Amino acid sequence: MNLDDELKAALRREPAPADFAAKVLAKTMLAKTRGSQARVLPFWRRPVTLAIAAALALAALIPPAVYRYREQRRAIEARDQLIVALSITKVQLQHVRERIQNTRHKI
Amino acid sequence: MKTALILFAAAIPAFAQQNFDFKLLDKLGANATGSTNITLEGDTLKLATSFLGDDNSSFRNLTGVYVRSFEFAKAGQYKEADLAPLRAYLKTLQWTKVVDVKETDETSEIYLHALPNNKLGGLAIVSAEPKEVTVVFIAGTLNISDVGKLSGLGIPDIKLEHGGAKSNDSKKD
Repeated sequence: MNLDDELKAALRREPAPADFAAKVLAKTMLAKTRGSQARVLPFWRRPVTLAIAAALALAALIPPAVYRYREQRRAIEARDQLIVALSITKVQLQHVRERIQNTRHKI
Repeated sequence: MKTALILFAAAIPAFAQQNFDFKLLDKLGANATGSTNITLEGDTLKLATSFLGDDNSSFRNLTGVYVRSFEFAKAGQYKEADLAPLRAYLKTLQWTKVVDVKETDETSEIYLHALPNNKLGGLAIVSAEPKEVTVVFIAGTLNISDVGKLSGLGIPDIKLEHGGAKSNDSKKD
C-alpha cells in the first residue's frame, strides 16, 4: 500500500454514529446548565443588592451628620446675632446714660 | 372671680407681646443707608444663648430679642409716626417708661417690665436721632443686675458696619 492509498483510507468519509447528534446536544445542554448555575449568585451577593445596601447605609449616616453640622452653624450665627443685639443694647443704654448726665450738668 | 380677673389681666400682656409684628418697624428703614435687623426668638434664641457660654447664662430666660437700627444719610428721612405702633404696643403691655430724655431733635426712651424679686420681664429702648433710629426690644426674664452687667459682661463693643454688612435676619420675615 502506497502513501496515497494510506491517506485516502485515513481521510475516507465515514458516517457519524447514530447517536452522535443526541450526544452532542446532551453535552451542549449540560454545559449550558452548568454555566447558568455558576452565574446565579445569592441575592445578598448580587451587585445590585450591594449597591442598594451601600446607598441605604449612606442614607442612614449622612443626614444626621449634615443636620448636626447645620444646627451648629445656625447656633453660631444666632449667637453672633445675639452678641450684636446685646452690644447695641449696651451702646444705647450708655448713650441714654450720657444724655441723662448731660441734662443734669445743664441743670 | 378676683383670681380670674387677675389671671385675665396677666394674660393680656402675654397675648399682646406675641401679637406685635416687628416688620412694621421695617418701614422706618425705607430710606436708610444702613440697617441692622435682628430677630431672635424660639429655638433660634435658645440655641444662641446656649452658645454664649456659662458667663452669660443670665440670658437663658429670654424669649425674644428684636433689634431694628437704621442710619440715614440726611436728617428727616424717616417718619417719627412709624414708631407709633411700637409705642402703642408698649402701652398695651403696661411697661413702665423709666427714662424719657428729649432734646432738640433727639429722643431716648427706656421701658421696663418690672417683676417681683428685682427681676425684669423685658426691656425696650427707643432711640430716635435725626440720622439714626434704633429700637431694641428684649422679652423674657432678666435680673436687674443683668442689665447693669451689659456694660461689663464680655459683650464686645462692635462697631456697626451699616450698609448691609451687619444687616442680619435670623428669621426671614
